[in-house]
Amino acid sequence: MPTVIVDGKEIEIGADERLNCIEAARRAGKEIPHYCWHPGLSVVASCRMCLIETGQRDAATGKVTMMPKLVPGCQTPVKDGTVIVTESQLVKDSRARVEEALLIDHPIDCPICDKAGECLLQDYHFQHGQAERRADLHPFTSRRRDVGPTVTLFVDRCIMCTRCVRFTREVSGTAELMVTSRGAKEEIDVFPGHPLDNKLSGNVVDLCPVGALGDKDFLYQQRVWFMKREANVCGGCSAGCSIHTEHNQDTVYRLKPRENPHVNKWWICDDGRYGWHHIHDASRLVGAGRAAATGRRGTPAFDDVEWHDVAQRLRADLAQAGRLAVAVSPMLTVEEAWMLCAVARSIDPEAFLAVGHVPREGDDETFPGGFTIRAEKCPNRLGVEAVVALFDPAVPGWDRLVEHVRAGRAGAAWVTGGYTSAWIDDDTAAAFGDLRCLVVQDLFDSPLARLATWRLPAAGFAERAGTWVNVGHRAQCFEQAVRPPAGVWPEGRLYWNMLGRRGLYDPSAVRRQIAESSAAFAALSGDVPANGIDLRIGQLA
Amino acid sequence: MIAHRKILTDEMVAKIEALAPRYPNRRALTLPALHIVNAELRHVPLEAVAEIAAVLGLAPAEVQDTLTFYQFFHQEKPHGKVRAFVCRSVSCALRGGDHLLEHLCHANGIDPYGTTPDGELTIEPAECLGACDFAPCILANDDLLKNMTPEAAAAALKQPRAKAT
Amino acid sequence: MPPFKPVLLEAVGVPDGHTLASYRSRGGYAPVERLLTEKQPADVVEMVKASGLRGRGGAGFSTGLKWTFLPKDHPGPIYLCINADESEPGTFNNRILMEDDPHQVLEGIILSAFATRASTAYIYLRYEYPRSWHRLQAAIDEAYAAGLLGKNIKGSGFSLDVYLHRGAAAYICGEETGLIESLEGKRAWPRIKPPFPAIEGLFRKPTVVNNIETMACVAQIARRGVDWFKSIGVPADPNNPRDPGSYGPKLYCLSGHVERPGCYEAALGITARQLIDEYGGGVWKGRKAKAVIPGGISMGLMTEAELDTPLDFAGPGKVGCLGLGTAAVVVIDETTSIVDFLHNSCRFFAHESCGQCTPCREGTSWSLRMLERIKAGKGRLKDLDLLAEIGATMGMMPGSTICGLADGAAWPIKNAIKKFRGEFEDHIKRTNPHGWMVTDPVPALQIVGAHH
Repeated sequence: MPTVIVDGKEIEIGADERLNCIEAARRAGKEIPHYCWHPGLSVVASCRMCLIETGQRDAATGKVTMMPKLVPGCQTPVKDGTVIVTESQLVKDSRARVEEALLIDHPIDCPICDKAGECLLQDYHFQHGQAERRADLHPFTSRRRDVGPTVTLFVDRCIMCTRCVRFTREVSGTAELMVTSRGAKEEIDVFPGHPLDNKLSGNVVDLCPVGALGDKDFLYQQRVWFMKREANVCGGCSAGCSIHTEHNQDTVYRLKPRENPHVNKWWICDDGRYGWHHIHDASRLVGAGRAAATGRRGTPAFDDVEWHDVAQRLRADLAQAGRLAVAVSPMLTVEEAWMLCAVARSIDPEAFLAVGHVPREGDDETFPGGFTIRAEKCPNRLGVEAVVALFDPAVPGWDRLVEHVRAGRAGAAWVTGGYTSAWIDDDTAAAFGDLRCLVVQDLFDSPLARLATWRLPAAGFAERAGTWVNVGHRAQCFEQAVRPPAGVWPEGRLYWNMLGRRGLYDPSAVRRQIAESSAAFAALSGDVPANGIDLRIGQLA
Repeated sequence: MIAHRKILTDEMVAKIEALAPRYPNRRALTLPALHIVNAELRHVPLEAVAEIAAVLGLAPAEVQDTLTFYQFFHQEKPHGKVRAFVCRSVSCALRGGDHLLEHLCHANGIDPYGTTPDGELTIEPAECLGACDFAPCILANDDLLKNMTPEAAAAALKQPRAKAT
Repeated sequence: MPPFKPVLLEAVGVPDGHTLASYRSRGGYAPVERLLTEKQPADVVEMVKASGLRGRGGAGFSTGLKWTFLPKDHPGPIYLCINADESEPGTFNNRILMEDDPHQVLEGIILSAFATRASTAYIYLRYEYPRSWHRLQAAIDEAYAAGLLGKNIKGSGFSLDVYLHRGAAAYICGEETGLIESLEGKRAWPRIKPPFPAIEGLFRKPTVVNNIETMACVAQIARRGVDWFKSIGVPADPNNPRDPGSYGPKLYCLSGHVERPGCYEAALGITARQLIDEYGGGVWKGRKAKAVIPGGISMGLMTEAELDTPLDFAGPGKVGCLGLGTAAVVVIDETTSIVDFLHNSCRFFAHESCGQCTPCREGTSWSLRMLERIKAGKGRLKDLDLLAEIGATMGMMPGSTICGLADGAAWPIKNAIKKFRGEFEDHIKRTNPHGWMVTDPVPALQIVGAHH
């Protein structure tokens, strides 16, 4: 195994691994500062912040020969015997000079800049910069430039790392961003009439090491040091990109991609990135409602029911209504889906369990850098199908359920949704109009909800913890970030309660139970890594 | 292919395409295409940049990126029929180049990089024109004006010049 | 010393000397016809290696050795790029070669392409040389018509196309990978190395970039022989196996404060004083030299006392200059302010910095603004220390930048401040009597809130 020596410490790397000095030093716990390098983009070695001393240790004699000058860590591959020095005076002076150079014309906007608190220029200044300013040059300009519908640019904060330009050329393939002019007058800009407007635009904000590029969605909304974040998964499509939900006091402020080499690498699409507003939409269904005795057709009116009474009254209504049909939404977690099926079968041992409506839009779209946005706009179809399969190997889908209800084979139906936009039309909803008891559990009002006997609120993606299985059969377990609207019992809590379990809803307990009782989910029995686990591991073909 | 162009003429496009066999890809035609348009129009407006990009199969931002790097192509309006580059590098500066530039600009009532209101003359500072044997010198379109003094330059620049190739 | 009988400049002053017929009358193209049909590419590589020819573009790297870096059995295409971007202040010898003897250059190109197995040669010609453009194109047309270019040249089986590609006034296009990026249609940001152009160059294929004067030397070596070339110049030091010597004739450009500016051919190794006094008619107006640039502004400055330095590849380095560079000698007389000179230099490099890497982009801009402040009478002594630090830390040599433009920007600063510090100090003290001594750092309150 090749050995690399980082500041005197030996680390082993894999025989087939191709690492640069930054990656190798990280393994030894040393973070080499850098701006322009990014593992998902081409190497340009232009910021010069990662300059380090390197050398080679002779395998036979052990003698170390150092290179006579500094080299960029990002463009220097390591091999057996590579010696890396990250803390010599030469290296420290070089970093201090790069910081000084970048700060010469950088407007001191920190008090009004979104990036404060997560800004590499700030961080490296404190860690590696000079205490005193030597360049007697001012005033500064700080211009804001509109580059597109979702991204804003503060031109003079830019440090010319060119990550954003390379992203639009290499990953999104849309080439909207450009560098203009030459030398110290260079600026980032777009061609007039061709704004930065592709489905991956927001990633350039993540890439920007400073506060030059910003999300219009997040601009001036919150200081980063007030936010907490949880590891979540985007619920926008079956790609299941790993994300962080960043929030404060139960308000979501933004989503950021979480690095996952098996799923989204470093990126998310704009639909996912900005697709959290439904969580705070004022028109969300909150509160459990039972249709008033009068007015099931025509204007729906609902009486509020105390959550503590819901489980018992709901079970009673369903038990009397006849055969039960259940739509298990592909927006639910594996744990919620399983509990719903168990609840349904406990009310009606022959309940018809089907996978709920699967929203689809357009075709899968793959970008030159390899990132794919899926046409299937739900995060857990595969997971829900595998759960339903445990109860009914036929795994009926939504269309079959609608047909089943239309044909009069059910007296009651429980339709779970959690869809973030309109998903059912009047005609299809009308099929449920004659049921004795209709339960609709969804985020927003709909033609179906207006016909419901029981109208229950659903959880948003950030308000639940559990497991989703993406298009690649990768199960990812995520944490809850924010609490649901005041008093709401989302699906997980309600089903847990209806199963008669004590205490707070514990998704990991349900997960373990599912893993131990089924082959399909066996991989979930232990600790699931942060990047998820392929459910097909260990399965016989 | 774009259906109709507003700025690039068929002849310009034909000249660009005639160079295509010289290079293994279309992007290499960028600088030649900019010169072809610039030779005709004495500038390369944004609309022309978009049309060149369409002809070459590139994004407009990619062509504009290259164009602005050179600090050479005017974009907002045509430069003068005579584009006078006045050298200001060391050999010419040692023999009066900066003074020559200042004098010419003042005499014509324009700032450096500016064009006279009648559209006849643009005066720009240039870095070493490679004619240090005749310093200070001016490149006016295709003509090298040698051993210039403010008086000689004023007189020389009044002569009409064949346009630059 | 007797004047050197021109070889590279033999066509200068000859009526119609730029035509094919005239070139042939001097013995031109006979080598092409002979070598292409009788010899192998490797033979031509050996010939150029044996001659000791070092690139004339500024780096002085052994030309034949550079050609051997190409991969041995590459399926092609291999490209030859001719660097005709000559933009180093003080330099104009390529211009004269292209205008007055384009066929000499072309013959060198054909032989070099044959040696390197290049199928296409692009001449990257700076925009500011329209006469060279016309002369080269006419020569290329004549060569095609005479079967010296195109398919199966003189029945040798070797085919070559030569194309002119015009630049747009950017100095950095003279850097070999800046040239390549520009040719490819992008902004001329030099590439990081490795990979080197010989492995992955133009259009990501093996590429050699050679200078115009180097090509002319190749043609003359092929015509007059390796022994002739090695009989001129400064032989390698026999006690130093790493010294490749400075062989062959060299075109020296002389300009600035001399009586007779011009391009003069001499054996490598002539001293600056000999060039100025014996070729250039001496410093003008009966004055003395204060400082002399030895090889284009990037190389820095020699003092009057250092003018007996031989201008070969090793000489200027011994007096603290960057090297021989383009051998463009610029004389600065005793009445010229060295502050003005350094301001001119910093202005040039700030304008030409490509802007890609932080130390050069910001260092050239910062040093210009400091020089402007010093010229405007607001300089401080501590500025000289800052400038010296920029000069010492910016460049490929310390490893802080991607290309050598930064070294070229740094060297005039280094040399000027080291060799003429007294003059800078006098100027600063004289023009800023109340502020020259300030050493405090810039107060923070002064810059926070100092927005436009």
